[in-house]
Amino acid sequence: MQANGAKGPPRRSVELGAFVVGIAHDAAGGVVAAATGAGKVVLLPADPLAQDAPREVEAHRGASLAFCRGPSGADFLSGGDDGRLVRIGADLQATELLKARRGWIDGVAAHAGRSMIAAVAGKTVHLVTPAGLHELGPHPSSVADLCFSPDGSRLAVAHYGGTTIHLTQKPAEKPRSLAWKGSHIAIRYSPNSKFLATSTQENALHVWRLASGADMQMQGYATKAKSLAWTHDGNWLVSGGVELCVCWGFAGKGPEGQPPLELRPPGDEPVLITRVAAHPAAPFVLLGFADGQVHVADIAKKRVTPLDGPTGSPVSALEWSPDGWRLAAGTEAGTLRLFDLRPRG
Amino acid sequence: MSTGEPDQIPVTVLTGYLGAGKTTLLNRILTEHHGKKYAVIINEFGAVGIDNDIVVDADEEIFEINNGCICCTVRGDLIRIIGGLMKRSDRLDGMIIETTGLADPAPVAQTFFSDDEVRARTKLDAIVTVVDAKFFPARLEDSHEAEDQVAFADVILLNKTDLVSPEELKAVEAQIRSINKFATIHRTKRSEIDLATILDRGAFDLERILTVDPEFLHAAKHGHDHHHHDHDHGHDHGHDHGHHDHDHHEHGDHEHAHAEAKAPAGAAHVTRHDSTISSISLTIDGPIDPDRFRMWISTVLREKGQDILRSKGVLSVEGEDRRLVFQGVHMLMDSNWGQPWRAGDGRTSKLVFIGRNIDGEALRRGFLACARPA
Repeated sequence: MQANGAKGPPRRSVELGAFVVGIAHDAAGGVVAAATGAGKVVLLPADPLAQDAPREVEAHRGASLAFCRGPSGADFLSGGDDGRLVRIGADLQATELLKARRGWIDGVAAHAGRSMIAAVAGKTVHLVTPAGLHELGPHPSSVADLCFSPDGSRLAVAHYGGTTIHLTQKPAEKPRSLAWKGSHIAIRYSPNSKFLATSTQENALHVWRLASGADMQMQGYATKAKSLAWTHDGNWLVSGGVELCVCWGFAGKGPEGQPPLELRPPGDEPVLITRVAAHPAAPFVLLGFADGQVHVADIAKKRVTPLDGPTGSPVSALEWSPDGWRLAAGTEAGTLRLFDLRPRG
Repeated sequence: MSTGEPDQIPVTVLTGYLGAGKTTLLNRILTEHHGKKYAVIINEFGAVGIDNDIVVDADEEIFEINNGCICCTVRGDLIRIIGGLMKRSDRLDGMIIETTGLADPAPVAQTFFSDDEVRARTKLDAIVTVVDAKFFPARLEDSHEAEDQVAFADVILLNKTDLVSPEELKAVEAQIRSINKFATIHRTKRSEIDLATILDRGAFDLERILTVDPEFLHAAKHGHDHHHHDHDHGHDHGHDHGHHDHDHHEHGDHEHAHAEAKAPAGAAHVTRHDSTISSISLTIDGPIDPDRFRMWISTVLREKGQDILRSKGVLSVEGEDRRLVFQGVHMLMDSNWGQPWRAGDGRTSKLVFIGRNIDGEALRRGFLACARPA
């Protein structure tokens, strides 16, 4: 464990000893939590200058496979290959919320405003609302990813052949289907709810314009993009799966017929971007690379700035704090790095 | 581009028609004290005592890639499951994937050629097919799946040998050989076999497989040492986003020097009388021109890939000390650098096709044209 590097913003590096599956900050921004492939959830201060030792709890017998902040803002949710969805409180208390009848819980999402949780178990999505527990599906195939719409009225689910959009307040109603051939592996609503983006197994992004149902396909990626991010204003869509920061413009008429904005990270050797994370309030996107580097792309200034160098292991999780001043990056080899970008002086 | 991946986990695909003895073999793997940690991916999990292994319940979720090409199918559930297993902190000695009795082995094999992440983390070690010695002849009559499973196999467990006469056994073995003369056959009762002979044996890299073929006179003998590969998946992707057209059949790719040599060649061809599947082996006594070979094999697999179930090859490239090991399932293919040639090795380039409606003469001419001229 080390504190503060000699140059650059304050940072802290902690070895968690297992694949960092997901990272989340609590809503207040004081605590950062990470879930690992050893089934542990680790909590520590989000401030990299804090010296407190990480506190951990065993959430699963096997691996955690999905992780996010809980709807209360003060707790965390972890799904695992033991089929359990577990809530981890700030006091490290682990409570089982769901147990899948078979298989894994490998997708989880929460909505704070409506106090909802959704978890993936095979072809089924379990939706937990204040009104009760609902089983959505079965979907056409196992569900790969899911996300709530910004206002929480909808839950979008990615699977083979396209996506399914459920009404969270009327879960028994027939959902809307948006079809596109292939296996959809990640899904994100644009912050203005106008667009729904997926990435597909075939190294492409797919975006639906929700008002009309019209869709578009973006190709040319080196590999499949497992990570998607919309900037806070919904103007840009960025993803992993490529060695450049490729930004598709969704302001105005949208990206049809327009080349994307391509921001080239500094350095001679191109490295694959594995994770992206959009800043909550500014057109900045964090880029996590296959060699462990972390960069910040400033889309307005068309500039990519390195924040931290390679660790030798792919970035597997990347998150801004809610206020956008701090961030955390985790790698497959289990290194968790914390940064604070607040101006000093 | 990725370079060597030393920690690729060997994957064994277990196929076999209903009732052949696949479940018995699986239970042996799960209950035997083999001292290894395997992840076993199965379709329906009965109550079996498990010591140390991880059992994952899977659905065979097959989807078409490459704009719905009907023979470019992969198992999406496997991509997801392998991704999940790779997050675990315990080290796996291997993965075993069971397919249902009626399953076509192609989608599971193709999964290991088509997904970058799966390719980086795992290595298809062998397709093991359990065959019922008593009922196989009848199965051949009524199901093409039973025939396909034999055609795809690297290793065949000819099981229930205690239920047939020596003559029947000989006949069924001949039938298997007429479909696939390159697989290693083990005769078993109640699926009893030393697991070391079927798990993590490096079968899929072909070098040993091709040595069992009596037609390959120059085939070199190798020990049971592990083969190391440099994965060099030179993907053909540019950065012209939005208008990039991928050649979806160009999966593995190699950069290497041009070679020079002479090349007389011969072909051996075996055809079954009661089946449409046959296998053909081709040899060139010397190196090939890698560029010409790549163009030719791409065309062959694009045009005939629906009928070609398996293609395998060990090729000599002049100026390169290692064997170029090539393998394909239908239209998808992959290639790696294999073991180095040793002094005294014949440096023969060998190629095998197993499939339906194989035009041996056309393939022979095409392969010969890939020989490096003197």
